[in-house]
Order: sequence, then C-alpha cells, then structure tokens
Amino acid sequence: MTARLEEPPRVVAPPTTRWASTSGKTPSVGAIARTTVLIVGAIIVVAPLVWAGLSSFKSQAELAAQPPTLYPHDFTFDNYTTGLAAFDFPRYLLNSTIVTVAATLLTLLINSMAAYALAKYNFRGRDLLFLITLSAIMIPLQVILLPIYQVVSSLGMTNSLLGLIIPPAATPTGVFLLRQYMLTLPDETIEAARIDGAGEFRIFWQVVLPLCRPALAVLAIFSVIWRWNDFLWPLIVAQDESVQTLPVAIARFAGQQAIPFSQILAVSVMSIIPVIIVFLILQRHIISGLVKGAVK
Amino acid sequence: MLIRSRSLATAVAGVLALALTAGCAPGPLEQSDSPSGPVTVDFGSFKGKRMTYLYFTDGPDLDATKAAIGRFEQATGATVELQVVPYAELQRSLQARITGDTVPEVARVQDWHPYAGELLDFTDYFGKSYPDEFTDGAVSTTRDDAGHMYAVPSDQTINGPFVNVDAFAKAGVPVPTATTKWTWPEFVDAASKVAAANDMPSAISVDVSGNRLSTVLSQYGTTLIGADGQEGLDPAKAEQALSMVNDLLQQDKISKDFWLGAGTNYKGGNDAFLAQQAPVYLSGPWQVGAFAKSAPFKWAAVPNPCAAECGGFPGAKMMVAFSRSKEPTLGAAFVQWMNRTENQREIDQAAYWLPTRKDLVASGVQYPTHNEDMNTFISQIDETPAVGFKAISSPAFTGAALALIKEFGKVVAGQESVADCVANLEKEIDQIVKASK
Amino acid sequence: MTGRADAPRRSRFTRRKLVPYLFVLPNMVVFGLFTIWPAINGFNISFYDSANGRTFRPVGTDNYHRILGNDEFWTVARHTIVFVVGFVVASTVLATVLALLLNGQKRGRGALSAAYFLPVVVSPVVVGLIWNAALQRQTGLVNSVVSALGFGQPAWLIDPNLALISVILVGVWVHLGFYTMIMLSGLQSIDSSVNEAATIDGAGTWQKIRLITLPLLRPTTMVVITLATIAGFQAFDFIFTLTGGGPVGATTLIIQYIYENGFTPPIAYGLASAAAVILFLVIFAVTFLNYLVGRRTEAM
Repeated sequence: MTARLEEPPRVVAPPTTRWASTSGKTPSVGAIARTTVLIVGAIIVVAPLVWAGLSSFKSQAELAAQPPTLYPHDFTFDNYTTGLAAFDFPRYLLNSTIVTVAATLLTLLINSMAAYALAKYNFRGRDLLFLITLSAIMIPLQVILLPIYQVVSSLGMTNSLLGLIIPPAATPTGVFLLRQYMLTLPDETIEAARIDGAGEFRIFWQVVLPLCRPALAVLAIFSVIWRWNDFLWPLIVAQDESVQTLPVAIARFAGQQAIPFSQILAVSVMSIIPVIIVFLILQRHIISGLVKGAVK
Repeated sequence: MLIRSRSLATAVAGVLALALTAGCAPGPLEQSDSPSGPVTVDFGSFKGKRMTYLYFTDGPDLDATKAAIGRFEQATGATVELQVVPYAELQRSLQARITGDTVPEVARVQDWHPYAGELLDFTDYFGKSYPDEFTDGAVSTTRDDAGHMYAVPSDQTINGPFVNVDAFAKAGVPVPTATTKWTWPEFVDAASKVAAANDMPSAISVDVSGNRLSTVLSQYGTTLIGADGQEGLDPAKAEQALSMVNDLLQQDKISKDFWLGAGTNYKGGNDAFLAQQAPVYLSGPWQVGAFAKSAPFKWAAVPNPCAAECGGFPGAKMMVAFSRSKEPTLGAAFVQWMNRTENQREIDQAAYWLPTRKDLVASGVQYPTHNEDMNTFISQIDETPAVGFKAISSPAFTGAALALIKEFGKVVAGQESVADCVANLEKEIDQIVKASK
Repeated sequence: MTGRADAPRRSRFTRRKLVPYLFVLPNMVVFGLFTIWPAINGFNISFYDSANGRTFRPVGTDNYHRILGNDEFWTVARHTIVFVVGFVVASTVLATVLALLLNGQKRGRGALSAAYFLPVVVSPVVVGLIWNAALQRQTGLVNSVVSALGFGQPAWLIDPNLALISVILVGVWVHLGFYTMIMLSGLQSIDSSVNEAATIDGAGTWQKIRLITLPLLRPTTMVVITLATIAGFQAFDFIFTLTGGGPVGATTLIIQYIYENGFTPPIAYGLASAAAVILFLVIFAVTFLNYLVGRRTEAM
C-alpha cells in the first residue's frame, strides 16, 4: 500500500482517446477482442451455476441421461415440492438471516474498534497483538474444532443462536483489513476533533467510522458470505432443529441414505438463491467498494 | 506490516511460555473403567424430566421414531428432544459433545466402540439376562469380551440385491424367487443381459462402502476380521473375491467412474438404480421404505449370489446411553422402552427395519407392503456365515472396512495388483486391530 | 503490504493510556476465548494420544515422529504442495490478466465484474456438489462441451492426475472474482500520468504493461499471493463434496488428512493435532517468506 496521502494531487488529465469505443468512434480491433474474451470468460464462469439451476428442474432419470441435456426437457417441480415438504425452509432461512445479520454487526463493531486502536494509538503490546491476529488468519477452523467447542460448551452457549454468532465474530481478516485502511486516514482529522474536545469514543464513532465506510462495506460483504455459508461450526453447535441454519439443514437432509440427488440439488439451489439475490442487488456497491481500494 | 524484531522476540517468548504452561494435560487422563453396580429403574419417576436423543436417519424411519417418542412421552411424562444429524457427521458431532461435556442421553450409532468408556452398561439397569431378549447375532455387536452390554440393537441390516422387475421382464430374464440359489457368474450374466436389453449403461449398481464389499468377501468365504478378533483375511479367497469385483469394474459392468469418484465418502448407488441406469442394485433393506414410495417401476428384493458361501453381510444399528449425561437413568429407560416388543414392532413396520428381538423374529413382523421382499432379506440372515456377525462386533471393523475401500480403490485405478492389495490390507488391518485393543 | 510504521507512531497520544486497551478489549476477549486459547489447547493435545478427545495419554513427541515417518503423510504433503502452487499461480495470473482486461473495458464493466465475482458467494459445499455433477465423464456439462469440440470425454474426477487439476480449477473458479477485484483496485491506484507519459514517449500497450503496470502492481500481487496461499492450504469443504479426496487419495489434501485422523475410526486425535501444528508452521513460514519478498521488492 502506498501511503496515498503523500501522493501529489493528481493532475486532471483531459479525456484521452483511449476510450474510443465509448466516444462514438468505431471500436478498435483490440477493444473487440478484449470485450469478446471478457464475455466468453464470464459465460464460462457463470455457466455451471445456471446449468445447476436448470438441472434442479429435471427428473431423476433425465439427470442421469447420457449425454446430458442442457436444459430440462420435461420440466418438473417435483424436486422442489418433495424436497421442501420434508424441509422447514422458512425456519432455517430465518435462523440463517438472524445469525448472519447479528454476527456481521458484531464483527463490524468489535473489529473496527480493535483496528482503530491498532492503527491510531501507540501502546505497549500493540505489535504483539497485531502479530497474533495476523497469525490467526492461518489457523484452519477444522483443526481446532473440538477445543473451541469445549470453550463454547463451558460458557453454556451450545445449542443456541448465540453460540453461532459470537465465537466467529472476532475475524482476524476483518481486523487486518480495517487496520490497513485506517492507517491511511489523516491523523490531523482526529487531532482536530480532539482539540474540539470530543471524547475518544465519540471521535471513533462520529469521525473515524464514517471515513471507513468503504472498508466497512467490504468487511460486511465478506462477513455475510462467511456466516451465510458457514457449515462446519453450526453443524456442531446448532443441535436442535429450532436453531439450525440452512447449510446444516441441507447437510442433514442430504445425509439420508435414501434421498435422491435431484432433491439435494433442488434444496441446494434454493439455499444459494437468497445470497445471489442480495449480491445482485448490491453488486454495484460491492464491486466498487472492493475496487476503491478498501482491500489493500 | 510493522513488526519490529523486538516484538517478534516477545512473541516467540510468549508462545514458548504458553507451551510450557500448557504442559498440563488437556483433559482427564485415560483410566480403566470403574465397574458400577446395579441401578433400579422406576418408569414412574421421569415426569417432567428432559432428555436428548441424537439420531441419524435413512429417511422413512424418522416419522416412525417420532411417533414412538410421542408414546414414550405420554407414558412417562418425560420430554424427549430428538436431534437429527447427517450420518456422515454423527461421529464428529458426538465427539465434540463428549469433549464439551454436553453428551446427549441417548444416541443411535452404527458402532459403539468409538465411545467406549462413555457408555453405560445396560445389564446394570435391566439385569444380566437382558441381552437374552435379542438374537445372538444382533446382541454380539453390542457387548465387549467381558460381557458388558454397551448398546441395545435397535435394528439389524443384511445386505442383498434389488432387481428392476420391469427391466427383467422386458429382457425375458426370469426374476429369481426367494429360494433361488444362483452363483456370481449367473448373477452377473442375468444383470448384463437385462442391462443390454434395456440400454442401461451398467449391469450392477452398488453402494461404495466397505460393508458392501465385505459381502463379496463373505460369499467367497473370508472376512476382514476373523472369529478370534484378529485380522482374518484368507489371501487366496480374498484375491478371488476382489479380482471378480475388479473385473466387473474394469468391464464397466459396475460403473468404474462411480466407484472411483466417491473418494473416501460413502456413496449410495440408489440414484443409478432409481434412474434405471442399472437393473440390479446391491444394498440392503433400509432402501425398501424409500423405494416403496418413489421407485417409478416394479422392483423386488432377491437372494444374494453365492460363491463358496451364500447370504449377505450383516450390519447393525444400535442405541447407546451415555453415563455422563444429565439423566443417565432416563436414557437407559428410554432405550429399553423403545426396544420393547410392541414398540420395536411398530417402528419396524413403519420404517421397514428388521427386528432384533428373539420374540419378534420368531413371530415375524407383518410389513404394510413389500412383505415378501422383507422376508427375502430375513431369509438371508440365516444363510450368512456366522463369522460375519463376529467381524462387525470387533472394535477394529469400522477402521478395517475403510482401509478395504482405500486399498481396493488402488486396484481399480490400476495402481496396484490384487495380490499386493490383499497383502497390504493384511498388514493394515493387523495394525488397526492392535491399536483398537 | 507496506503500511509504514511512521504513520501511527507520529500520532502519539500516550496520555490516554487506557483508551486503546478498551478499544481492543471486546475483540480480543472473543478472539482469545474462541481462537487463541483453543489453538494453544490444540498444540498441547499434539503431545497426547486420545481416541475420544476427552481422556488423554501423554506420548511426548511420538505423534510428530509417527507423522513424519508416515508415507501417506508425505503423499498428502506432495499433493497439497502441487495443489497450492497450481492454485496460487493460476489464480494470480488469471486475476492479473482479467483485471487488466476489465480495467480497459468501460462498457458493461459492472455486469462483467459481477459475473466473475458470483462464485465467491456460493457456499463451498454447494460448489462441490455442482461441479461434481458438471464434471461427470458421461453426464456432465463440461464434457458435453469438450466432446463437441472434439476432445473426447476426459475423466476429470477419475484420472488421478486430472482430478488434482480439476480440483485446482474449481478452486480458481471460486476465488478468481475476489482476487481480480483486488488486482483491479491495485491497477486503479496507479497514477495514470505515468502511463500517459509513457504513451507520449511512444511505448506500446504490451511494453507499458510489462515495464510500468506490472512492477507498480507488485505490492497488490503480493497481497493476492498471500491470500491465495492461505486459502490454498486451507481448502477442504468443496474438495470433500467434489471428489471426497479421491480417486485413490489423489486429491486428499492436508486438511482432509487431519480431519480423517481426528474424526474417522481409528481415531488418532493427538496425531491430527500434531499434523495441524505442522500445517500451521508451514503456512506461517510461507507467509513470512512472502512478506520478506514483498518488502524487498518494495525497497527496490
């Protein structure tokens, strides 16, 4: 990350002729080639998802057909109706939503507080805390599952939504990301607020956080993706059906030895539709947030 | 990243210090079980108490279990929380709960050995003669060498083939009856003919599972674990059996892609059978309930093919109660109640399970449909060599079955000869047996 | 990653001694309880033997000796290294190319970016399921295209070498959108006047990319390489539903090895913990190396 504050102010260059295609002139060969490559690439990336979505409307026999059909020839909702009959979709959707929203809010709050201290204060143990945080990004959850469960269980948080929300909230990636962003904030702004007599927490809340909006947005997106798709941890902690999230419920459904693949596919497709909708609605902000240099 | 060397040194020192302080044991040290004495169970004392039943399901049995739980709650006034986990995650879920001291009162499992030391002994609660209520084969999977009964057999499984009757009819191949004795070559021949006549890509569909592969070993007269609890493979017989299966895979009579694509996961062949990709399916009676509901063609259970021996290979599902749960006595009582004659009969009927109680086996269970198919499976139990029941009661069997799938996969992929596979298996199983002691 | 140390050091507000500690406290409590303490515990367990995770028998460094002397572990390690290298190289190169292309594209850039980013939001378990169906030799989407192009029906999930490649490709598919956006952000922070000056000096597009853009992009590339390395070592969920680690262990990577030792019979919980410690040390070492390389290139 280059310290962007030290960059000289950019000279606003007059529009160059590089973007010939948008300025009404005939697009160059290069531009056509580039657009073609990008579109073909995008089709390749999206195709498996579309195909899976279409396949969930195929009958079991058609799914097994050789060669495969591209789209369902006899369209059936059976996979959805039988799949969903055995499946309390609204409840799992609600649980997933509660966990995702609550965990994301908590993550944003505690991660940004920690990141602020690590970025803008000088205190004993700061570098050590940062180093530990960084190393923790490298610990895979799978390998410390049982010790974590022990802690959660001794706090009495198993089998509750709290046990799904709190333990994963202190994401090291979030602290890292926000700290890097806050390093680029001008100290002068904070100093000025201090001179105005604002309290430390108020400065954080009213001055620093609004300035960090792009980085917070990026972390929020990732937190939503992580928590929505979390599987391993909820599987162990959410024991009653009443607290299970969608991925867990799907795994339980698919884990029955006599369930056909067509139904598993249908339920899986249903589970990714909410995130995809949210993503498509927010994609403009997500992409621009990411690209605006929040991730550095 | 602003990490100065001083703080790096502090960090290293910190980690070392933590390592030293962590020198104390992460949990209680292993010790031998202290024997507990008899406990009296008063079914009238459970009013208002709560317990958890951790369960995995094959599908149709879930509703039957829920109904039985309802009757138990009504009879005792206790509340039973039924928690369902996917079978693949059962082990991990239970292990986590054991480490976290939040064990359920009761769980349905396929093998009690991984939880040894955590389970209560049912003979303490229901007397030394309680095991006698169950068939010898079923009960042998629930006891250790000292005679403790750490589980109650809730249902028995026996592997056997299903055939697509419509497809057989179209090919003009007669469907074998419940008493037919056919050999492996006859079996393969019939399946191939039917597949060809119906344009099906494979002749036989099979679950990728060590237990299913053990069926063939058993039919060829050998087994992973012998009657003495030691590694029990007869190399010549094992080579014969595995070569035969390998040939089927190499000729794609059993889909090689399907077999190799499973990795170390259990993979069910039911999809291929239901989608009419194969006219024959090697599985077991737990499929009957689902097939009865969803198969779009007429099907039947038929006897296993024979080699040196006939019959299938057993499997067991059992209920265990955890001694360190909040309500161990209620847990024990629940298990006993669920396996009383009238309750086991009702679950067996609704879930298409095979009974484990002597009285039910003697009187027979009347299933709502497909009674004949169920009887075909039951008839296979008597045909199965007794050593199979010994084998699955060994603490090393689950591990050995996994090793079988892993090692045989190398043969199928062409990386190893059958002889090497058997030799390696013998070594591996020997180690697993030693480690399980 | 640069983050020059002088920025925070310049702002010395030491009189408010307690404040920073209050700010880090909530995060560090959660973090300490649910990550650090369990990790220390896991480290400790690697010196014990346990078949159930509750009762333990001290065995000293036996678990480490057993792992390091185990052929299967080294096979797994080899596969893991091939996977991580393949994954990191492929995703970094593709992300760079894609970011350069997208950066040049004005019309429809948002929609195209969204399309490339879409797989990031799909749950890993579902990713495995979908690709398992798509890569089937005879019934999959991929081979219906591949065979139409005249390349026959490759056994993507059945041939051991191809399977590892398939797993790498699916891994790239999942993460590519994310890494591309990071590269794109790096590209857009490059001062456009540098490029314009080069254009005036008569430099061609390729020359500009090679001599100006890529060197200036190096810090961002290091970020992507670091993230991809960590993600590569930790890949598990989608592989488990895609291949189950098969065929014959060809795609069994280190996390699955740890998982199988810890959770499938015969259970060797201590051994699994020891393997986890080794994995952590390796990731740590590689990341540190990345950091050193990154710092050196910045100094240049």
